[in-house]
Amino acid sequence: MSVNEKFTALRKGLLEFVVLQIIAAEKVYVADILKQLSPTEFATQEGTLYPLLSKMRREGLLDYEWQESEAGPPRKYYQLTARGRGQLRETLEYWNQINATMKKLAHQ
Amino acid sequence: MNKVITINLRGTAFQLEESGYDALRAYLETAAARLLGNPDQEEILSDIEWAIAEKFRPLLGNHKTVVVTQEVTAALAEMGPIEADPGPAPNSGAGGGGTPGGPGESGTAGEEPAAPAGGSPRRLYRMPEGAMIAGVCNGLAAYLGLDPTLVRLAFVFLAIFWGTGVVAYVIMAIVVPEARSPEEKAAASGDPSTAQEFIRRAREGYYEAIKGFPNRQARREWKRQFKREMRAHKYFWGQHWQGCWTKPAPPLSGLGLAEPFLAFILPFISVLHGIVNILWVCATVSLLTPGNVFGLALPANVPVWVAVLILFILYGLIAWPLKAARRACYWGLGRPGPAWPLILLLDAMVWLVVVATLLWLAVHYFPQLHDAVQNLPALVHQAGNDIRTWGHGK
Repeated sequence: MSVNEKFTALRKGLLEFVVLQIIAAEKVYVADILKQLSPTEFATQEGTLYPLLSKMRREGLLDYEWQESEAGPPRKYYQLTARGRGQLRETLEYWNQINATMKKLAHQ
Repeated sequence: MNKVITINLRGTAFQLEESGYDALRAYLETAAARLLGNPDQEEILSDIEWAIAEKFRPLLGNHKTVVVTQEVTAALAEMGPIEADPGPAPNSGAGGGGTPGGPGESGTAGEEPAAPAGGSPRRLYRMPEGAMIAGVCNGLAAYLGLDPTLVRLAFVFLAIFWGTGVVAYVIMAIVVPEARSPEEKAAASGDPSTAQEFIRRAREGYYEAIKGFPNRQARREWKRQFKREMRAHKYFWGQHWQGCWTKPAPPLSGLGLAEPFLAFILPFISVLHGIVNILWVCATVSLLTPGNVFGLALPANVPVWVAVLILFILYGLIAWPLKAARRACYWGLGRPGPAWPLILLLDAMVWLVVVATLLWLAVHYFPQLHDAVQNLPALVHQAGNDIRTWGHGK
């Protein structure tokens, strides 16, 4: 496995965390999420995002409501549930912990 | 010159070139195949169709009414391939460590099995909503398309005369699964998958959407689309709003009562319920035969039917809290654990044993009741005659 492939796997695993982070900031619909991700290394597509969002909703991390759009039919706007916020907080903590561990190990 | 095919993507018509249509169909079919077994398959597919429709819409204008093949393939490339849901298991190493809620969540996710395949036949489930004991009769009635009361009477009949009803009931209570998800409930009464589709959409918040619309025209347009789709599904809806939707809130969960405690008191409540049932039957019989209730003579100016009615209401008043308590115990016990069949078995056995014992004792030690049972055929005959003469007399 090349370094690049390893990064791909890492990004894939982190996508859920990144999506949680985006939805935590404001109510968004899928095109917003894609737009926010596109300049980053987490750029993704509907084909990946929809199954992920539906899985996260099933796990009770997020919820959605229908809202009218200026043009066209109403859209699903996603927002975090209490459980989703909890998971985001825990993941952030864990992430910081990993960072700290990496730094500490580098200094030894 | 290319042939054009008109398609309906979630309520909007689009005209596609034939090869573009083939590409879209292939994409959606692959998506459906990859999402097979995913409990949200239909919802994700619907989301994807919405997204594709949104990509097509800005491509069209006054002088361009057809989505050409290149545009279809470009839109599909933008959508990207459908990545199958990795399932309730942690997404990967990175997410795994930081999700202590993982096991519980995977429990809820795994509990909902894949929706039955489209147009699937009926399936036998136990239906706890409106059940008396474990929902066997309720489920059987839904399966056979009969009134639950008739099925219950059949079971009681079998239980009294040959005892087979008890055995059959207990076996079925253990073997037959309980209908929990809306899909299972739909399958229990054999509703086609359009019913599931309907429930899913309705749940998705069509009505929420209507409420949220500030502008009347948009609301009307939305409503019209909704109605059109409902008509297209040819679904008779009044029925399922109750059956599949309302789930009684677990009344005891808030009290935090321990499950062992509930499992312990459940048979006792059942016994009480059984005793009240028997008392009611005895009282009614004694009222009808010698004309008094446990030695208490009926006042002369009260007709017998009024007394029967009063008895019935009294019985209802006494039995209602007991029934509610039993229901609450079932709900409080929550998700079936390994001990669940045992508890149900114990409950059903205790209940039936008490009923049978009381009946036997009553018939053997109360001469009136003994006589009443002896006289029952004659009584029925007489009642029939009375009705007939009453009918003729009119």
